[in-house]
Amino acid sequence: MADYDRRQSGGGGYNNRKRRYRDDDEYDRRPQRRRYDAPVPVRIRKQLLGLAESPLRRWHEEVQSIAQVIAENYEEQELRTSFLDLVPQMVIEQPLKVPFVAAVVLLVNSIKPEIIDELLARVASDTEEKVKVGEWRDVKLYLKFLACLQGCLEGDGLFPLLEELFSRAVDLQTASSDDTIGTELVKIILLTIPYILAAAPTAQSQQKAAELMDKTDVIASEPHALQVLIDPYHVSDGSDSPTANMSLVGLLQKQLQNEATSGWELSCLPRPWQMPLEEIEQQEKLDSAQKHTLPGISIPEKVITGPRPLFPEVFYSVYVNQEIASVPPVSSIASSIIRDALSDTINILHFNRNATARFLIDVDCYFAPGTFVKRATPFDRLRDIEGDRSTWKPEDVAVDAVFSQLFQLPTPEHKLVYFHSVLTEACKIAPAAIAPSLGRAIRYSYMNTYRLDLELTYRFLDWFTHHLSNFGFMWKWTEWVDDVNLPDMHPSKAFIMGALDKEIRLSFAQRIKGTLPEPYQALIGPEKEQDTPEFKFNDDHTPFAAEGKELAALLKRKAPDDEIQPVIDRIHSAALDQSIDPLVSSTDVFMTAVCWVGSKSLSHVLACIERTKDRLLDAGAASEAARAQIITAVMSYWSAHPGVAINIVEKLLNYSIVTPAAVIDWALVSDRAGPYGEALSKAWVFELVFNTVVKVTGRLRQVVSGEMGEGAVEEVAAMRDLFKRMDDALVSWAQGTKDQMMDPVVSDGGEDLVKRWGERWLRVFRRRSAIEESFLAESKVTA
Amino acid sequence: MRTELRSTVDRLDRPSAYYHSRNNKRRRTDNGRDGRDGKDGDTEMANAQPEEPPEDPLRNATTLYVGNLSFYTTEEQVYELFSKCGEIKRLVMGLDRFQKTPCGFCFVEYYTHQDALDCMKYIGGTKLDERVIRTDLDPGFEEGRQYGRGKSGGQVRDEYRDDFDEGRGGLGRAIQHERMRDNERNREKERNYDDDYGRLR
Repeated sequence: MADYDRRQSGGGGYNNRKRRYRDDDEYDRRPQRRRYDAPVPVRIRKQLLGLAESPLRRWHEEVQSIAQVIAENYEEQELRTSFLDLVPQMVIEQPLKVPFVAAVVLLVNSIKPEIIDELLARVASDTEEKVKVGEWRDVKLYLKFLACLQGCLEGDGLFPLLEELFSRAVDLQTASSDDTIGTELVKIILLTIPYILAAAPTAQSQQKAAELMDKTDVIASEPHALQVLIDPYHVSDGSDSPTANMSLVGLLQKQLQNEATSGWELSCLPRPWQMPLEEIEQQEKLDSAQKHTLPGISIPEKVITGPRPLFPEVFYSVYVNQEIASVPPVSSIASSIIRDALSDTINILHFNRNATARFLIDVDCYFAPGTFVKRATPFDRLRDIEGDRSTWKPEDVAVDAVFSQLFQLPTPEHKLVYFHSVLTEACKIAPAAIAPSLGRAIRYSYMNTYRLDLELTYRFLDWFTHHLSNFGFMWKWTEWVDDVNLPDMHPSKAFIMGALDKEIRLSFAQRIKGTLPEPYQALIGPEKEQDTPEFKFNDDHTPFAAEGKELAALLKRKAPDDEIQPVIDRIHSAALDQSIDPLVSSTDVFMTAVCWVGSKSLSHVLACIERTKDRLLDAGAASEAARAQIITAVMSYWSAHPGVAINIVEKLLNYSIVTPAAVIDWALVSDRAGPYGEALSKAWVFELVFNTVVKVTGRLRQVVSGEMGEGAVEEVAAMRDLFKRMDDALVSWAQGTKDQMMDPVVSDGGEDLVKRWGERWLRVFRRRSAIEESFLAESKVTA
Repeated sequence: MRTELRSTVDRLDRPSAYYHSRNNKRRRTDNGRDGRDGKDGDTEMANAQPEEPPEDPLRNATTLYVGNLSFYTTEEQVYELFSKCGEIKRLVMGLDRFQKTPCGFCFVEYYTHQDALDCMKYIGGTKLDERVIRTDLDPGFEEGRQYGRGKSGGQVRDEYRDDFDEGRGGLGRAIQHERMRDNERNREKERNYDDDYGRLR
């Protein structure tokens, strides 16, 4: 509305750029072309899409005026089509606006009720369609919309449908304790109930809700069998996970029961369908408007999981145990309702991170007034808030929601970098409000790295460094200065080292050094500032120095292979004389020379590998030791820049010059990645192993979903073998039975640290393995 | 079913008008680049054209053109950031035609179209090496395209730029060139003078 008015008065001289082409061709450029000529459907679309965005407009006025225009112009075919298309679309694309769209519909109903039947038919059939294909989030959103319309539905309205959904859930849960669809259905039911009660707070609704909640209790309160697998915390034995009792459905059930006992106040929900006192006439018209029968929505006997695998959910927050609650406590239904709407918004709008960030910043526009404190209120000021007024910071609630998605196990809906980009945009839109909230989230996560699931620790590291790279690498490192002196294997110190390495990869050592306080300077050695590492064979004291230099020279001038072979032969015979493994020796010299010759850039080294791949393939195929030596050569040449090394190894894997198993062995079994289990604490080792596993499982999934041919059987066996290998290696670290750990010389107390790292690794890859197994089981069922 | 509806929020994974406008000056329905923040273009709806050219070269594009890089940004840095959207199949750095040094753009090729789209959504418009970079879907790298097409070997946009951008070699090259010529001329004069002076002696 306001947008339009403003533009009209803006003078006709400056038109929207996008209109220019038409204007140029069809019209004279005369100032009297006025904006309010925009056709009604276009105007309505614009206004509907912009619902509730401006805090300056009053909800009831906004919905009334839109409803008025729709009702008046409904005979127009274009408007009709547009309205019938747009309403359901908005419901599933802009979840925060659902109550407002519903309010427009309710007001239209009070003027022209016949429109509503058409719309309900449309929404009902859309819902049915989504149920059929297992798009459960869309189903949830349609139900939320219908729940807001409960007041204009005949009889029990939406309740019978919820009851039917529940009966499916019961069937599924009785059939299997691992079932996740039933849990999802219960979640949907529980999240729909509050909207019904906000829209139609009648005794009848309360009664129905109570009956339904009595039934859901069994499923919701029972901890799900898979919950241990996806708990974001991985505490050491003997302590309790902070999220042990935080299953989403479990919380919902309790929160709703609390709400029921306090008379369904549901104070955070917006009620744009409620008119203020001066609009008493309108309110009466609304109350007495015609009721409609909800068209039947049939639920198939056998419901399916749909395109995304379902898992039970855990409520995760980075703002727990604060002195003052800056986010809704988990005892309040508000925590679930707001989180649900925000998570949906985040996941749905992956195609426009700016829009997502805008919604996050504007979260207070979409909930009842007074739900939050004023935007950008500093955390310290929350203390001064008097009485029972809210202390919830909208920024904290928004940031919390993004973290909950970023830290979702087993995998978030989108690539991790999407969530990074949302936080970056939010920070760009409202730096003063968001940055301090992020700072507190970072501190919380850092403090908890020791008990966070290891995969999540790595996600945190990856986000943190990427985020800093977007904001001039500014961070208050002084806060953690005491941790610099911790042993390298301490989780906090390991985080710091990993973070610095990641920062350097996105920038360069000198730049990062410039952002660090003095005590950190020693963590970035001179070797990190060197772009091209030394070629060890340039030092004549290195064994095979002459051959190394010679090979490098040959590689540099792209000499044919028959010129290379004699040098290799010389290494072989010299090695035999010294009774060391000839192939390992020559492989080390050759691969190191390849790295050195290609040290200018990744393209250079890749081109060099491409030219020499036959020789490398032969070496890699010849023996396990040689395969390991290829990796060792790369890793030691690039030891100061593990990121480069990881990239090279990844390409070697693509060429099948090294095998995934060789990478795993190199990292976890041998001592090569760091002595006495130190490897386990290094972020880059985790990255190397994790990427390798992802590569293997990714290829397997491709093969399996392509066709279950013979190749697939082999791939499956190879994958299982890989997981088995990892398990064996990690179990011995976790239990302290690894030979190196038994060595009395190194028993300096670091042993417990190693064990703990072993446990954390083990959990991550056992989960990965379990997920792949369930994927295989699933695809066998459907095949 | 109904035809696919236009999203209620603009998408960031659409190519810029570059390729389409090269083929057809008239077709300017996309506003991926300019309309980033816009929620909805009301005026577009009236003339929204669902039909695309029959052979859209970008339909399955796996390559991105990446612009506004610093001349000092390395391949490794590009890898580090762009790998967050998927494994990189190939990376081609844009080079100055004469110097063969990076001149501020590159081509990133992924294995899948989806990774390229995700990169448009999540990386385009964010920072690399402390510069906001630009990404655009590209029909694919061909030999020769890695070289700048400006007169002086770099990119055309770096010819007449009159802002001083340290990451991209300071001022636009044409302007630099002009200044250098001025200096040269001055020095020439001095030298001539010196020479004359010498001769006079």
